[in-house]
Amino acid sequence: MSDTKSKVFRYLAYTIEIIIIFILNNTPDLLPMIYYAKPCLLICISLSIAVFEREIPSMVFGLLCGALIDLGFSNSIGLFTIALTILCFIIGYCSNNLLTANIITFLVCSLLVTAGLLSLNFYFSYTALGYADGAFYYKTHYISRIVQTFIFSIPFYFLNKFIYNTLSSDD
Amino acid sequence: MKEFFKSTGIKILFSVLLVVIMLSLFTNHLQNNFLSNAVNATTYGLSSVTAAATADNRSNMGYEELLSKYNELKDENTELRAKLVDYYDTKTENARLWKFYDLKKENPEYTLVPSTVLRRDANDDFYSFTIDKGTSSNVQKGDAVVTPQGIIGWIKNADVNTSKVITLLSTQTRISAINNKSSDTGIITGSAKLSEKNQTTFSKLKSDNKVEKGDIITTTGISGIYPKGLVVGEVVDVCYDTYDTSYYAVVEPYDEIKTLKEVAVITNFTGQGEILKSGEADE
Repeated sequence: MSDTKSKVFRYLAYTIEIIIIFILNNTPDLLPMIYYAKPCLLICISLSIAVFEREIPSMVFGLLCGALIDLGFSNSIGLFTIALTILCFIIGYCSNNLLTANIITFLVCSLLVTAGLLSLNFYFSYTALGYADGAFYYKTHYISRIVQTFIFSIPFYFLNKFIYNTLSSDD
Repeated sequence: MKEFFKSTGIKILFSVLLVVIMLSLFTNHLQNNFLSNAVNATTYGLSSVTAAATADNRSNMGYEELLSKYNELKDENTELRAKLVDYYDTKTENARLWKFYDLKKENPEYTLVPSTVLRRDANDDFYSFTIDKGTSSNVQKGDAVVTPQGIIGWIKNADVNTSKVITLLSTQTRISAINNKSSDTGIITGSAKLSEKNQTTFSKLKSDNKVEKGDIITTTGISGIYPKGLVVGEVVDVCYDTYDTSYYAVVEPYDEIKTLKEVAVITNFTGQGEILKSGEADE
């Protein structure tokens, strides 16, 4: 398969994966709520793509995932779009130039990004607005969301590794 | 490092970020923005299918219960198979509308738009959700969202085909309410500690309030945002907030908000916006 052709198929596969997961993740009662929260699967997908792809495609898929997350719950783009665009660019750059793309690197990135991003989201959507019992809400809802998102990132790492290896040019 | 900051990639990143930030500022102030419309229009069909597929999902059934349900459904299926396919759609739609018939009969001035819960996002706090009706069905920001049991939330954002509903369990909610038995008034607002128990608070009560367990709380209709007399729920406890130095009642809505599948939006009612309009006129 030529390089251009393989890229087109690969990017198409990622796009379809993102749309399907967005729909399934948001379907009422499909994924059970564990400790009052569901995982944010689009974060897992964007990070696992960024580990394998170069910085520009990583950035584009980070942008797409971030925009879908933002539009899914707030009708306007914001924190997730901006943060995932930057973070996926950095991860894409680092995994190609500074680090080895393997499961350990990915898990470290995933844990840091998931915890940081969801905590930041909590700060902007709860603490900064002055609502009471923030620590309680973070403990009972957000820690569960962070842990579940982190755990779900593992299967997405292998899925996107499979897509990357299968749909890469043989050259 | 210098090469990294001079690379084409970093220039592209900054250009994209600039566009994203501008779009973010632009879309934040729009009630009906094109990005949200585009995403919802693209995913609406698939979301409708998946939401419908899980509509009758009962996840905690045991084997015996499932077997009995299976046999029951098998018999029912045999009976229904003879009927026309179109009949199912009509029956479903009728059943959906029938739920709100009593509410409409009691309040003929309400314009009700029945709708289905389309999405529950992973980042939705306090069990907020997206419904399958938007501005094309006259749904507007601030409209009350109800079930036959009473009010369950309000519209935060509405685009062409979908709307975001904030529930009574959310800390964003501020609804003026009254205890009809004792005439005590207060504000319905969510609480982080109570939301998971499907409970909200009736706060800012006077120190000499006469609110008791079992009292039913309804909306006051003040300001004309929500109709008067919509049932919020039943008082399950009365407490004192040491931080706020005021009394509040714990109110439990009659619906299990976390698992709602069908709701209706009150898009029009007698007295809607009247006080707001008069307030604007005074200014």
